[in-house]
Amino acid sequence: MSWITIVWSMNAAACLTLAAIYLVVWCKQREGWAHLLFSVTAVAAAAIAAFELAMMHAGTVAQYETLLRWIHLPVWVLTLSFVAFVRLYLQAGRPWLAWSICSLRTLVLVVNFSVTPNINFRRITSLRHFSWWGGDMISMPVGVANPWGLLSSVSLLLVLVFFVDATVTVWRRGDRRRALVVGGSMIFGAILAWHVPLVIWGIINVPFFLCFAYSGIVAAMAYELSYDVLHAAQLARQLQASEATLRESKERIDLATKAAGLVVWTWDIGRDEVWLSEKNRALFGFSESEKLTAERVRSVVYPEDHQLVRQLVENSLTTAEEVQGEYRIVLADGNVRWITRRGRVEFNGNGQAAWERGVLMDITERKQAEEQFRLVVEAAPSAMIMVNAEGRITLVNTQAEAVFGYTREELIDHPIEMLVPERFGSHHAGDRHGYFGNAQARPMGAGRELFGRRKDDSEVPIEIGLNPIHTSEGLFVLASIIDISERKQAELEAARQRNEMTHLSRVTMLGELSGSIAHELNLPLSAILCNAQAGQRVLANGAIDPTELREILNDIVSEDKRAAEVIRRLRLFLKKGEVQQHSLCINGVVQDVLKLIRSDLINQKVAVDCKLARNLPSIIGDPVQLQQVLLNLVVNACDAMAGYNTQERRLIIRTGMENGSSAVIVSVTDRGSSISAEKIEQVFEPFFTTKAKGMGLGLSVCRTIIAAHRGKLWATNNTDCGATFHFSLPIAAPDKGAPITDTNHLTNKECCSHGAVRHRGGVAPNGVNAPQGVAMT
Amino acid sequence: MTALTPTVFVVDDYAPVRRSISRLLHAAGFLVAAFASAQEFLAQYDPGVWGCLVLDVAMPALNGLELQHILEKAGSLLPIIFLTGSSDIPKSVQAMKHGASDFLTKPVNDEELLAAVRVAIEKNRALRQEQAELSEIQARLATLTPREREVLEHVVKGQLNKQIAGDLGTVEQTVKVHRARVMHKLRLRSVAELVRLTERCRINGS
Repeated sequence: MSWITIVWSMNAAACLTLAAIYLVVWCKQREGWAHLLFSVTAVAAAAIAAFELAMMHAGTVAQYETLLRWIHLPVWVLTLSFVAFVRLYLQAGRPWLAWSICSLRTLVLVVNFSVTPNINFRRITSLRHFSWWGGDMISMPVGVANPWGLLSSVSLLLVLVFFVDATVTVWRRGDRRRALVVGGSMIFGAILAWHVPLVIWGIINVPFFLCFAYSGIVAAMAYELSYDVLHAAQLARQLQASEATLRESKERIDLATKAAGLVVWTWDIGRDEVWLSEKNRALFGFSESEKLTAERVRSVVYPEDHQLVRQLVENSLTTAEEVQGEYRIVLADGNVRWITRRGRVEFNGNGQAAWERGVLMDITERKQAEEQFRLVVEAAPSAMIMVNAEGRITLVNTQAEAVFGYTREELIDHPIEMLVPERFGSHHAGDRHGYFGNAQARPMGAGRELFGRRKDDSEVPIEIGLNPIHTSEGLFVLASIIDISERKQAELEAARQRNEMTHLSRVTMLGELSGSIAHELNLPLSAILCNAQAGQRVLANGAIDPTELREILNDIVSEDKRAAEVIRRLRLFLKKGEVQQHSLCINGVVQDVLKLIRSDLINQKVAVDCKLARNLPSIIGDPVQLQQVLLNLVVNACDAMAGYNTQERRLIIRTGMENGSSAVIVSVTDRGSSISAEKIEQVFEPFFTTKAKGMGLGLSVCRTIIAAHRGKLWATNNTDCGATFHFSLPIAAPDKGAPITDTNHLTNKECCSHGAVRHRGGVAPNGVNAPQGVAMT
Repeated sequence: MTALTPTVFVVDDYAPVRRSISRLLHAAGFLVAAFASAQEFLAQYDPGVWGCLVLDVAMPALNGLELQHILEKAGSLLPIIFLTGSSDIPKSVQAMKHGASDFLTKPVNDEELLAAVRVAIEKNRALRQEQAELSEIQARLATLTPREREVLEHVVKGQLNKQIAGDLGTVEQTVKVHRARVMHKLRLRSVAELVRLTERCRINGS
C-alpha cells in the first residue's frame, strides 16, 4: 500500500473519529449545536478525503467523472458548515457574504448535477497515470475545463474574503487566540483550496488534496471545540467542588437551624410560592408535594393572631430592614406553639418586593418562662415595673396600675420618667443611665425620700428596689415599688403624738418649776418697781441728782429687758409647734437650761459644775426639745439629791465629743442615790417613776426626743455615789449647716467659743465647784 | 456705843434688786448698807449698829433663813424683814417663828417696805432701850451681896421680915437692914417696884 492511500485514509479516519466524538458529545448535550455542526463538518471532510482517494485510484474516465461530480456534495456541506460555524460560533463574518457563499455554493451544486460530466470539466478526455512522490500510480483527469467552474472559483474567493473578514473581526474583538487558530487555519485552507482550479486548468500537476486544506480547518475547529469541552469539564469540576461545598454548608446550616430550632423559609412574592425545608413541612402539616402559598402558610396561625400576622407581613413588605414579630401557630398535632418570625424583603430593580427570606423560631419555652415571670410579677404584693435600657416601660403589674393610677396600656412602651415628679425628672434620666452602666440589685435613692407621680399629677411617697435582669434582648431593670403613703401618714401621726407628748411633758415640767420661774420674773419686776418708786421719791424730795436718776432709769430698762427675756424663753418653751431643725451648739442649750432653772437650783442648794468643752461641732436639732431633755435630767438629778446633805448636792454637766465617733455627748452627773442594776434601763420606760408625784413620763419622753435626733440616751451609776445620764447626738455634716433662724440660740461660733460657763462659784483648781449654786448672768 | 441714826442693812445676791432697794430706802431718808451675800454681811456686821435687816430668802450658799439662824444664835437684836421672790408658806412660817419682823413678797410696794422697815427700826429701838434698862438693873443687882440677894428673893415672894429672919436663921432687925440696903442699892422705893424689876429680869432670862 502506498503512503498516499495511508495518509488520505488516516485523514478520513481522523475526521470521522472527531465527527464521532463530537456527535457523542452533542448527543449528551443537545444544546451544544456547535458540536453537531462540527460533527457534520468532520464527516464532510472525511467524505472529501475518501472521494479524493477514490478519484486517485479511479480506473476509467467515467468512474472519475462520477466521483468528481459527487465530491461536490461533501464540499457543499463543508462550505455551508464552515460559514455557519463562523457565523454562529465565532459570531463574525458579514451576513451578506455568508448568504452569498451559501447561495453560490448551492448554485454550484445545482449546476454540477445539471451539466455533464460535472461543473469542473466539459469533457474528460483521458486519465493520466503517474507516480507522485514515490507513491503508487495515481490517476489525474485530462480534459476540457467547464466554464461553469468559474462559479466554483468565485465561491472559493468569497469564502477566502469571508474568512479574512471574520478573522479580522475576531482579532479586533481581542480574541486573538481564536483568530489565529480558527481564522488562520480557515484562511490557510481557503488559500490551499485554490490548487483545485489550478489543477483543473492544467497549471499545476498534482493530485487533489482538498481534504488536507479542509481537514486543517477541521483540526483547528476541533482544537477550538476541545478547548471549550475542556473548559466545560473544568467548570464541571469546579461546579462539582462548589456543589460539594454548598452541600456541606447546607448541611451545616441544616444542623445549625435544627439545633437552634430554626425553620428557614423563602417567599417568592411574585409567584406567591413559599419554600420551607422538607423536614419542617411535616411539622406544620403540609404535604411534601403541596404548593405552599402565603395564605396556606398563614392558615396555621392561631386564629386570634391572624390580624397580627397580617399586619406583620404588611410591615415587612414596606421596608428592606429585618422585621420581627411573635405569634402563635397550631401544629398538625394540634399543639399551639409560640414562634418568632424574622424576615427581610428583597426588592427587584423596579422597587417591587420580590422575595422575602427569613427564619421561624420556636420560642414557646421562652414565652412560657416569660408568662411565668409575668405571673410572678403580677402576683407580687408590691408594684412592679420593668424598664428597658432606653428607659421605656416594658412590664407592669396591677399594683403598679393602682399606685400610679394609669392603665397598663398607658404605661407600656412609655418612658419611665412619666412616673417621676417633674422636679426630679431631669436627674432621673441621668441616674438611670448611671444605673444601667453599673447595674446591681439595691434600693434606689438610699437615704433620700422618693416620690412617684400619679396620673392626676399628685405625688406619692414610695420606696424602690432595683433589680437588673439580663436577657437576650439586653439589660432590663425590674423596679419593685412600695407605696409608703400610709406608713408616712402613720409616721406623721406618731410624730404628731410624740410632739403632743413632749409638749405635755414640757408643760408639766414647767408647772413643777413654776415657783422658780415666778422667782425669775419677780426679780426684775421687783427691781423695776423699787427703782421707779425710788425715782418718785427722789423727785418728791426735790434734791434731784441727774446721775442717780440716770442710773435708776438704766436699771429699769435693763431689768425690763430681763423680764421680757424670761417671758420669751418661757413662751418658747411652752409653744406647741413643729419640730425645728436648727444647727446649734449643745453648750448653748446647757446655758439656756441653767437660766430656766437657776432659782430652783439655788432653792435646792444644788451646786452646778459645768464642764463644757470648747469648740464643739454643731448638731442639728430642735433647741426646745433638747432643752427639755436636759432640764428633765437636771431636775431629776436635783430630786435625787434632795434627801442628802447640802454639801453633797453637787451636779456636774459635761459636754464633749464621744470617743471615736462623730457625736457630741452630754452627761449630767448627780451625787444622789444610785439606780439598781435592774432599773437602770427601766427608768426610761413610760410610767416608771420613783417620785411620789411624778407621772413617770419624763425620761421616756426624753428618750423619744433623743431617738428622734438619731441619738442615744442612757444611764450609768457612778463609782462612788449617784448616777450619770448621758445623751449623744450625731454632729451635723459640714455641708448641712442650716442657717439659724432662731435668734434665741447662739450660732455655732458664738456658743462654741464661749467655753465654760461663767458662774459665781467658779471652778476650784481641783475641778470641784465651791458649793454655792450657780448664778447665770 | 449706840449710833444715833439707825442703819438699814440690805442683803440680796441679785445686784439690780439690791441697788433698787437701797435707792428706795435712801430716798426715804434711811442710812443704807448693802451686801451681796450673807457671808459679806457677817464679815462686816457690827452688833452695835442698830436698825434693821432687809434680807433675801433665796441666796446661793448661805440663804436668808440660815443667816437668821446665825444671827439669832449670836444674840443679835437686829429685826429682819425677809424678801422673797416666791411666796413660800413653810419658809415664811419658819422665818416668823424665829422672830422675823416681816415677810414680804417681791415685788414689794415702797410704802409696804418702808412701813415694815420703820416698824422694825422702832422695834429695834425699843428692844435696845429695854435691853439698856435691863442692863442697868442687872448692874445694880450685881452690886448686892449674897445675903442681900437672899433677902431680896424672900421679899419678892411676899414674906414678912419676921418670916424671912426665921427662914434665914437670923433676927428681924438684920433682915430690915439688908432690905433697906437692897432698896437703896436698887434705887427703889416700894416693894411693888422691886417685884416688877425682878419679874422683868426673869422674863429676859438673866
